[in-house]
Amino acid sequence: MQSVVERVINLLIYLLESPHPVTADQVRQTVPGYDQSSDDAFQRMFERDKNVLRRLGVPLEMKALDAWEVDHGYTVDPEKYAIPDPGLTQPEKVALSLAARMVRLGEGSAGLQGLLKLGGVERAMGLEPIGADLGAEAEVLGDLFRAVTERRRIRFDYRGHQRGLDPYGLAHRRGHWYLAGETSGDQRVFRVDRMEDLEIEEQSGSFTRPPGFKVRDMMKSQPWETGQDAAVTARVRFDSQVGWWAARTLGVPAAVDESLEAEIPVANRDAFVGWILSFGDSAEVLGPDDLRAEILERVESAMASLP
Amino acid sequence: MTSERTLSRLSRILALIPYVLSNEGASVAEVLDRFGYNETELARDLDTVFVCGLPGYGPGDLMEAFIDEDEVVIDAADYFARAPRLTSTEAISLLAGGMAIVASGQASRELESAVEKLSKAVVPDADMALSVDVSGESQMLGQLRTAATEKKVVTITYRSLGREIETTRQVEPWTVFTTLGNWYLQGYCRLVEGERNFRVDRIRKLQVTQQSFERPTDLPEPGVGYTPSEEDIVCDISLGPGAQWVPDYYPVEILRVTKNRTQVRFYSVDAEIPARLLLRLGAAARLLKGDEVAERVAEIGGSLLDKYR
Repeated sequence: MQSVVERVINLLIYLLESPHPVTADQVRQTVPGYDQSSDDAFQRMFERDKNVLRRLGVPLEMKALDAWEVDHGYTVDPEKYAIPDPGLTQPEKVALSLAARMVRLGEGSAGLQGLLKLGGVERAMGLEPIGADLGAEAEVLGDLFRAVTERRRIRFDYRGHQRGLDPYGLAHRRGHWYLAGETSGDQRVFRVDRMEDLEIEEQSGSFTRPPGFKVRDMMKSQPWETGQDAAVTARVRFDSQVGWWAARTLGVPAAVDESLEAEIPVANRDAFVGWILSFGDSAEVLGPDDLRAEILERVESAMASLP
Repeated sequence: MTSERTLSRLSRILALIPYVLSNEGASVAEVLDRFGYNETELARDLDTVFVCGLPGYGPGDLMEAFIDEDEVVIDAADYFARAPRLTSTEAISLLAGGMAIVASGQASRELESAVEKLSKAVVPDADMALSVDVSGESQMLGQLRTAATEKKVVTITYRSLGREIETTRQVEPWTVFTTLGNWYLQGYCRLVEGERNFRVDRIRKLQVTQQSFERPTDLPEPGVGYTPSEEDIVCDISLGPGAQWVPDYYPVEILRVTKNRTQVRFYSVDAEIPARLLLRLGAAARLLKGDEVAERVAEIGGSLLDKYR
């Protein structure tokens, strides 16, 4: 009995070395392990093995064997198969491997597995006492990243609406992953963990990213800076209980008594009002008046919601 | 379904062959270390490679793979001179991992250049298409990290969230980590004589002492789970459509989920935190149960009405 591992390696060698695309029948007759199975069993086995190759990162292609596209064959282009050499030095690989151990992205250890393809690193080093949990399932992110780099259109449900998107870039901010792109003429940002029923189109190269687009430009550093509301500048006073901390968040110096008066640009009023109220009565918006009115309204409705 | 084990075994073999081909005379010890093998696994994989090769599968068609004295030998495998490309999952894991450490301000120069080289090789426009930010106060993170590495006790002046109570504590720093957008110091707090997490942004002052400590060998996995205690304030809140983000950020127990609303039980050390949350949620949430919290909402709310009316 041929093991799966042997069969897949032999299949890969056959596909890499054949000068022409090979048909499923040829695979069946040539590669050991497929020969003694029934038609159905062969189909299932071959499908599974093709899927294994793709999951290993092998660029398996299907090509028409004649002008009428009746017969199809499979091939792996050796040039596309080989990993481009990034020219990493040993210390650089060690640093990457340390980072891969420090940062958690979903459950698996895809980063470390990828590092082996780059030649691996000598281990024998302690763990650094610093870590980051980037949340999210690495598989979903991998799929989205592929859609971004191969410029494939995607479709998904978002808060009850069907969306089609040209995905331009992925960003991690404040504990969450976001996908930025263009949907019906608008550039928008979506939270990855709120996307449902994701479908990625087969066709690659479906769109071009606008020149100069950078995903980080779409991600503002504070939640109240990201939004579609008309931009206003809020004047806020934080008392000495919380001024030092607000100053840290905003990256400005607090007064000597640790209070703070700050001018803050706002493009998402809802997020801003929420943030201000998270200071309880230790922060007060001094202006503009319509923003004060919004806070008052929020407080009144919170009090009206009490049992 | 093909198991993950088969996949990672294949992936390791396809990485091993090119390495040995381009590093002639690689020692067994080095290969074991570099690829995370034990001797049995390596022998088994070499045996597998040895029976694979070109169609015909005669002696001249198969790859050569064996251990000679203390060297790993692989030959007649030119088609595997290079490893396969990174999968998109491997690529984003490596890149995002590196970028996260770079963003924290804690990266070595080697890591910075590694991320740059890797981005260029993997996605020519990675700079435009991928961005990871986990920024915190890099100076404090750096000090805490050094203290943890050198096993030095730190003295922190800490402001608890909510009531703004300030305490000064001696902490044995184990690790600093970030999750859900905040940085935490995890360690043994000598004041409460137990393991605690402290939000780094709430540390007002930090001083590294010369006192050493012993770190437990079995560090608990860092995380910000909250263990309710008997003295906790408990309240039940019904979250409307505009407040569905709350369970992602607060340690709540989900009681019931209906089409538009989620009912949660909120535990906290005092009434301040749920009260402020309710104020910011406005009509998007309703307090169902919790007298102390209701009282506190009314108190803060009253003071806010005085300011804004």
